[in-house]
Amino acid sequence: MRNFLEMAVQLFKTFSLGVRVVLAMAVLSSLLLLFFSHPDRAGLDFWTFSKTHVVMYVPETERWNQRADAREPVRISLLSGESLNRRILSSFQSDTPGPDAVEVYSSIAAQCFKGPLQDVGFVDLTEKIRAEGLASKFNKTSLSPWISRGRNFGLPHDVHPVVLGYRADIIEAAGIDMSAIETWGDFVRVLSPLVRDVDGDGYIDHYLLNLWETQPGLIELLMLQAGGSLFDKQDNLAMDSDVNAKVLATIVSWTTGWRPIATNAPEEDATSNKMRQEGYILCNLVPDWLAGMWEIYTPNMAGKYKLMPLPAWERGGRRVSVLGGTMVGIPRGARDFDTAWNFVKHLYLSREVARQLYRKTRIISPVVEFWSDPVYDEPVSFFGDQPIGKIFIKYAPEVPERSSSAYNSLALNALTHAALKLKALVANEPDMASGRMRSEAKSLLTEAQRTVARQMARNVFLKPTVRGAT
Amino acid sequence: MRSTAHPWWVPYFFVSPFALIFLVFISYPLVESVLLSFEQTYGPKTSVFIGMDNFRFLLKDERFWTAVKNNCVFALASLGLQLTLSLGLAVLLNHPKVKAKAFFRLILYAPSLVGTVFVGVLFNLIFHAHDGLLNSFLRSIIPGFPQDFPWLQNYVMTAIVLSSLWLYVGYNMVFFLAALQNVEQELNEAAAIDGANAWQRFVHITIPAIAPIAGFVVLMSLIGSFQLFELPFILLGRSSGPEDRGLTLVMYLYENGFQVGDLGYASAIGWVLSIILIILAVAQRLMVRED
Repeated sequence: MRNFLEMAVQLFKTFSLGVRVVLAMAVLSSLLLLFFSHPDRAGLDFWTFSKTHVVMYVPETERWNQRADAREPVRISLLSGESLNRRILSSFQSDTPGPDAVEVYSSIAAQCFKGPLQDVGFVDLTEKIRAEGLASKFNKTSLSPWISRGRNFGLPHDVHPVVLGYRADIIEAAGIDMSAIETWGDFVRVLSPLVRDVDGDGYIDHYLLNLWETQPGLIELLMLQAGGSLFDKQDNLAMDSDVNAKVLATIVSWTTGWRPIATNAPEEDATSNKMRQEGYILCNLVPDWLAGMWEIYTPNMAGKYKLMPLPAWERGGRRVSVLGGTMVGIPRGARDFDTAWNFVKHLYLSREVARQLYRKTRIISPVVEFWSDPVYDEPVSFFGDQPIGKIFIKYAPEVPERSSSAYNSLALNALTHAALKLKALVANEPDMASGRMRSEAKSLLTEAQRTVARQMARNVFLKPTVRGAT
Repeated sequence: MRSTAHPWWVPYFFVSPFALIFLVFISYPLVESVLLSFEQTYGPKTSVFIGMDNFRFLLKDERFWTAVKNNCVFALASLGLQLTLSLGLAVLLNHPKVKAKAFFRLILYAPSLVGTVFVGVLFNLIFHAHDGLLNSFLRSIIPGFPQDFPWLQNYVMTAIVLSSLWLYVGYNMVFFLAALQNVEQELNEAAAIDGANAWQRFVHITIPAIAPIAGFVVLMSLIGSFQLFELPFILLGRSSGPEDRGLTLVMYLYENGFQVGDLGYASAIGWVLSIILIILAVAQRLMVRED
């Protein structure tokens, strides 16, 4: 040891002053890190990705923290959507530090359901929800995206019903009565004359709908509306159903062929806002959250839009669909489950939060008893003074049920492949009869289903007979 | 002569920092990734040994082969277009009559300072179907040019190659320029006196002289082509584009490892990618040696 120290001192003496300073700083900082590690903060962490949610939750959280029975204070943390997703998945899969309660998108929740049931990172809330009678408080179909293999891992934040938004200023000025439109067939027939070159520059100035083969979320939305789906209630693949084939064939006929009526303008994109403002797109599929975003990001469009129920696929059919969704869950690593559970119930069952949620984002609460609140009757100037909350609520109970399959994103990818292949076929043969288009659509969907099935089949964790998972 | 009387452990002591870092951060992850490639995982905590299943599935996985195909197409385009343009620009800049060489060198090299992510964002706007700069320009000069020409849907690989040209042509040009500046002018002058024309001098004097640097640039471009990730990922809006037209091997690895959580399958993809790169590097070395 003495030898070693002598050597080290001799070595140190050979270094220049600069090297000595760097070395000393390295040793000092290592010691600081070693002995002064960051202490654990007291209280519970609630993570969310939405700035608006934070604004709504902070006053409620302050009230909660002042309650006499609040065992531990709760802190609300705002993370960007992408980093929240990454950190929550890392937390579940690698035991990195995580929150005590967290809001996640449906696509991320589905990722958490990919492993063995006992390794799902969220606490199984099934018994709690049953014992406290919570299921009946929420819109029934809004619970489905958070249920995997019969177990419920979260409470719904929203319903996200989808209706049709249309440029009332242009369509009504053309003398068209939108209330006469009941089906998608009516929609195309009544509005098609508007798809034309208005200024004579050789290019079409108005398309009827923002819908494209590369927007599989919107295709799935229309399949759900028609009664189809990519997965059945048991999360088995159901892509190649007749209903799905009919919807896919119809969509491709709208985007391709001699007289396309739809065009591509992905939402949440500056260019798509511009295309809407120019009247290039006359109608959009509008979930409640998108209505709120339009109000915030394109205020100059106030008074030009109106909402109406979706045209049905058949007379008397469903006039609504669903897109997106968020849940709140409690990670298994939560330090105090009871406090976290009581806190999320406090937020999600708060009438005041529901009101604020609607006023700030136009998102309607999934809590059925709040639907009679006068806030939803308020006229919204952006939508020509329509009480849009009432429109969304009227159709909310009919929102279709969705699967929570971890393979939904893969199925959506395969759906895009099928749609593009069908588009290529129709582009080569624009006169293709609708019956043949449907049969082509069905065989392409069968092929897409086989691709997804192959991937699903290799997941050993979803097979109940598998042993040896460590 | 200096004394060498020191305890036996001194050399080991000096080597130990490197050895420790090498073992912990390189050797251990390498061994672990080999083991992982024989497992199916749901994150690092949950894993099941499945033998060669990952590799067997990989061979039948259409998406994997789509990624291999896309990488090969990109690599060929990189070698064919990028290096030809880089060399051409370097030859132009190396010409004695060209003035303000430093300025042009800076202008051409500058895009590579920008960063791949920014280039992805920039070209996403340029290639936008409705309001992109490229389509607006083409519509203004070609009557009847399609209204919303879908570059990022139907011509994904073209868009990626064009973006990468802007990014890397100047970068590779600098290497070629450095090599060209070291070509002995006496040889060129002697050949000119002997009656060799410019093309003959370029083929028989310049190319052999810059061959070692060219070999290095080719190898780096090939490896870079197979490591392609950020550019298509950002250009296509954090996706692999319609029908996986922009899917690359590293994107597929990332998707499986960090989005799906199947580190086992991602490791298998990584090892296959490594083997492809090793084969390419060895082949390139052999060809250079033969030359």
